[in-house]
Amino acid sequence: MRRMRTVLAPVAALSLVLAACGGDDSSSDDAAPDTGEAVDEAVEVDDTDDGDAVEEAEVTTAGGGDLTIHMVTHSDDGPFWSVVKRGADAAAADLGIEVVWLGSNNDPETQVQMIEQAVSEGSAGIAASLPSPDQLVGPLTAAVDGGIPVITLNSGSNDYQAIGALTHVGQDEIIAGRGAGERFNELGATKILCGMQEQSNVALEERCEGLAETFDGEVIIDFVGLDADQTSQTNTIKAAMEADPDIDGFMGTGPVIAMSGLNAAQDIGRDAVVAGFDLTPELLDAIEAGDVAFTVDQQQYLQGYMPVLLLYLNVTNQNTLGGGLPILTGPGFVDPDNAGEVKSLSAQGTR
Amino acid sequence: MSETVLSDSTSPARATAPVDERLAYRSVFQRLLIRPEIGALIGLVGIWVFFWATSVPFGTANAAASILDVAATLGIMAVAVSMLMIGGEFDLSTGAMTGAMGILIILLVKEVGDLGGAGLSLFIAIPISLAVALAIGFFNGWMVEKTLLPSFIVTLGTFFIVKGAKLGFSKLTVDQIQVGRIDEGAGYSFWRPIFAAEWDRTKHQYEYRDVIYTLGLIIGLMIIAVAVFELFFQRRGERRPTGALAFVIGLAGLYGGVAVLHLTDGYGGNLLASVMFGVFGLLAVVGLGYWRYEPVGDRGRLSLDGTVSRPLVLAVVLFALAIAVAMILDATNNESLFFPFTEQGLRATLFLFLIGGSMTLMLIAGIRARRLSITTKTLVNLVSAAMLGLLAFFVRSQSDSIKFRTEAFSVLLILATIVAVWSIAGVLFAERTAIDRAADRLGGRLFIIGSLLVVVAFLAKLLFTTTAEIDAGLASSKFSMRIIWFFGFTAVMVWVLGRTRFGSWTFAVGGNKEAARQVGVPAARTKTQLFMLTAGAAWLVGMLLAFRLNTIQASTGDGQEFEYIIAAVVGGTLLTGGYGTALGGALGAIIMAMAQLGIPYSRWNSDWRFMFLGAILLIAVVANRFIRNKAEALRR
Amino acid sequence: MSTQLLELDNITKYYGNIIALRDITTSVNAGEVTCVLGDNGAGKSTFIKILAGVHQQTEGTIRLNGQEVRFGSPKEALAAGIATVYQDLAMVPLMSVWRNFFLGSEPVRRFGPLRWIDQDRAREITKSELARMGIDIRDTEQPVGTLSGGERQSVAIARAGYFGAKVLILDEPTSALGVKQSGVVLKRIVEARRQGLAVIFITHNPSHAYPVGDRFLILNRGQSMGNFAKGEISLEELTRLMAGGAELEQLQHELEMAIAGGNGDEGAVGTMTSTPSDS
Repeated sequence: MRRMRTVLAPVAALSLVLAACGGDDSSSDDAAPDTGEAVDEAVEVDDTDDGDAVEEAEVTTAGGGDLTIHMVTHSDDGPFWSVVKRGADAAAADLGIEVVWLGSNNDPETQVQMIEQAVSEGSAGIAASLPSPDQLVGPLTAAVDGGIPVITLNSGSNDYQAIGALTHVGQDEIIAGRGAGERFNELGATKILCGMQEQSNVALEERCEGLAETFDGEVIIDFVGLDADQTSQTNTIKAAMEADPDIDGFMGTGPVIAMSGLNAAQDIGRDAVVAGFDLTPELLDAIEAGDVAFTVDQQQYLQGYMPVLLLYLNVTNQNTLGGGLPILTGPGFVDPDNAGEVKSLSAQGTR
Repeated sequence: MSETVLSDSTSPARATAPVDERLAYRSVFQRLLIRPEIGALIGLVGIWVFFWATSVPFGTANAAASILDVAATLGIMAVAVSMLMIGGEFDLSTGAMTGAMGILIILLVKEVGDLGGAGLSLFIAIPISLAVALAIGFFNGWMVEKTLLPSFIVTLGTFFIVKGAKLGFSKLTVDQIQVGRIDEGAGYSFWRPIFAAEWDRTKHQYEYRDVIYTLGLIIGLMIIAVAVFELFFQRRGERRPTGALAFVIGLAGLYGGVAVLHLTDGYGGNLLASVMFGVFGLLAVVGLGYWRYEPVGDRGRLSLDGTVSRPLVLAVVLFALAIAVAMILDATNNESLFFPFTEQGLRATLFLFLIGGSMTLMLIAGIRARRLSITTKTLVNLVSAAMLGLLAFFVRSQSDSIKFRTEAFSVLLILATIVAVWSIAGVLFAERTAIDRAADRLGGRLFIIGSLLVVVAFLAKLLFTTTAEIDAGLASSKFSMRIIWFFGFTAVMVWVLGRTRFGSWTFAVGGNKEAARQVGVPAARTKTQLFMLTAGAAWLVGMLLAFRLNTIQASTGDGQEFEYIIAAVVGGTLLTGGYGTALGGALGAIIMAMAQLGIPYSRWNSDWRFMFLGAILLIAVVANRFIRNKAEALRR
Repeated sequence: MSTQLLELDNITKYYGNIIALRDITTSVNAGEVTCVLGDNGAGKSTFIKILAGVHQQTEGTIRLNGQEVRFGSPKEALAAGIATVYQDLAMVPLMSVWRNFFLGSEPVRRFGPLRWIDQDRAREITKSELARMGIDIRDTEQPVGTLSGGERQSVAIARAGYFGAKVLILDEPTSALGVKQSGVVLKRIVEARRQGLAVIFITHNPSHAYPVGDRFLILNRGQSMGNFAKGEISLEELTRLMAGGAELEQLQHELEMAIAGGNGDEGAVGTMTSTPSDS
């Protein structure tokens, strides 16, 4: 598969011992560019910042097309975003164009700089995520005014029209939550704890609100501890369940918290319907084993692939899709029926 | 001297003691109060009672398992961080280190060699990861000593390095922000029980559990009571065997009372049992005192002044208010559950605070009354006992839940009895006013034996179930191996800090580094060892996490370092160094865990969690300072 | 006179081209107290630092038991039996008396690889050593910070004595103390002398020095104003010399004029000696 060279902060003590753990991945430096195959090249971009954000730009070239599309996201290069990136890379390869991937690691300042940089480089099209609209609407509107087509992805469903973007490719969290609520109805749950892994995160709260809209029984929405401390997360869920014997369902607004919910229910012997959002290998295993009922998959591969495709068609053929409405990539559901297949796709990095 | 009521009530006994010894002597309660952990211990009991009252399942073994599960990893770190803070340093890399060690061990067993290769055996990987942790700790200490920069800054740097390394190496090796499947490592089946074994109490049935619990508790508390007598009262020159006889008869009578209670059913039996408890209990107490202790010489006259009557009156007013609150508010209202201001929650909160305030005032009145005369003191104490007794019957009559009707009722009644017995003993026997090594030794040993029995009783209750409970549909609850690591680590560190040269030097380098250096304490080495200790503790927590979770997120532990520091501060450790205890850190961690889980247990919304934690932190800091000042005043 | 325990011969110290001490000669024997008197800036602290091994003299010799010695570091001085009790005491205020007493040299018991402090022994020795110095500490568990200034000095003196000091240098032990507390410390000095320690007592207060001293060295601006045995000098003369002779007489005269119907010489000198730093 693809090889990547990551620009890492220097690591002191750990690196001495761990030097042996990682294989040397930077050999791609020597590989000659080949028209038939995509070759990655790491370029360090815009090093004027304080440097603690992981900044990287990877340029995918193929086929000799001179069209360059910039994808500027708040990616932390985690499992979620690496799938988005694979989608974007696949679109670039399929279309024979160039996609520059810019991840800001949740730093809006960096993302603003990256957008301005893309504009100044004369980008053919910008695909951007909008985790913090306040800072990002301005630069993106400026890009649209400058004649660069923009598509928002992942987050930004409320602001893409204000920017003048062609469309938004992503999951509407409320709609995803509603879908989950209907599934819980089918599974026969009567009272659900909707546990969040962050406090005051709008997206997570929307997932729970959507759930409450369609679910027939009672929904308790609460923050139950950070992913960074899973012990406390599990025990908090356990406490909430023990305090209320009627709870027979748990919806985690992330994959890690869903596993914590499962562990909590199993620990106290509660026969509860457990579901989650997004995918991790553990969660897929648990779904395949039937312990977790389902997980809401926003099919983020599409969030990488579709914006590139739509921008390409807009630039080359003046097409637009969606009629100004957002294009929803989710909710897709992974349940015991398709978990096995999704698992193998996930291993390939496309789910 | 004894003419005036304002003279010292215990003057006759004091007059016989040598002059310098009179100044040196502190009663057993004063000695208890100057322990630095006492604030945390009171807070722990208070918060437990609070959540016990507001939440239905908080008092169960399941809740205990959950609280200790959360407290264990937090506590191991808090104990180590307490020691580092006593040594005058901070370590901000501790939180990230716990996750880093978990990730390191998994990478070592999974990814070493060719990518995705067989990896190392856990038997090799575990020592390597420990060595890495200690090396990082050494690096922290070395940097702090060499650069003379504040450890806050140096370890902030280490924190970022460790955090970056976690993410970097995870992505470099497995291209994910989590690494997993330590269970595929060689030697997993050997190490897993060591770090992550679980004790499921529902799988351990023991039909004599309640017998052991009840007997252990009763006998243990009785031995503790005798120990307190021995520590508190003045031994008499010549013992009276008749007293010993009365004591033994009293004990036998009490046992008879238990038997009557156990064998009979109904009103008559209960009445007989209570009469037996009262009569024989008094006989045992008086017998013990008559056997061993000096009778009180001069009881003084009954007298009240403003210092005593003011708190006394206020206490009665608060008591009445509490009763009124409990009567007015409706306990059966269970609506709007996820909100702290439910009527039920408000009722419990107000009631507890008012009663707590009332009892504290009674305690203050009692302490002040000691200055007036023994008679006054006894009277105040008897009023306290009466109030507690009244409270017991009030709680029994007013609440619907079994918990309050039985548990709170019995505990309050026992408390009332203890206070009553104590005031009777105080009017009969003379308080000790001089050091008596022999009595201290005997009393201390009895106290330890009694405490051990109580611990055994609670362990039996927590770790075992009975068939009856299982049949009633008891939810399973698992006690994790990490709790033993937590207790073990705490015990070792308490010993190290209190009994070894390293412990003494830790206090010294934190209290006055230059002074320590002048008298030959290796200050730099001590501090470096402290940093290595916290790193080692982070390693232990990393192992506990890895073997429990199997998969570690790259973010694991980030931001936890402040929770460790908060736990240490709640436990009475001074931010500026030189003062604190290891046990306090452990207690602080349990308090934090209780506060964190008590909120969902009480069905409150967790939005209030940080407000609650902040309040606890502030109260703890203020209370610790208050207690420390009091303690130092006592020592003068 | 036979060989003294510690002899200083023409000690001179330059800091660059500044002369801090010039040609200081004095001695102290076991069971004697040598008082070093001087006003602020007289060179007392340089004198202490040379003896304690912090600085080295530029010229002159120090002889310990007749052997010429030169201390490269405080450790060497300590090893030779010269212990210094500084004004800002080497004590940890929040630690107990006995822990402070034994800090850095705790007695240990061992079992296999485990070593722990023998607390009972440490407490007992602390109690008895302090008692031997005539100090009755109420409780060796109490933090040093709760002791009075005089008691703290006393603990430091007792500690130096217990850990084998032959020469005890006391740096202004009474300067921060009230009259009563100073008395406590002076008693300790007498006690240390009685137990055969050689004591060098640095002070700016002649009325503290005179009752306890066997020998007086007076410093003024780095120079010796005289080195007297006890019989050779009176308190008044000592005071006069220390403050710079004629200057003080002038001041004293003016003050006497100011106080109508003053109480005469003794009262006026008393006034001066109690506030020597004013002169």
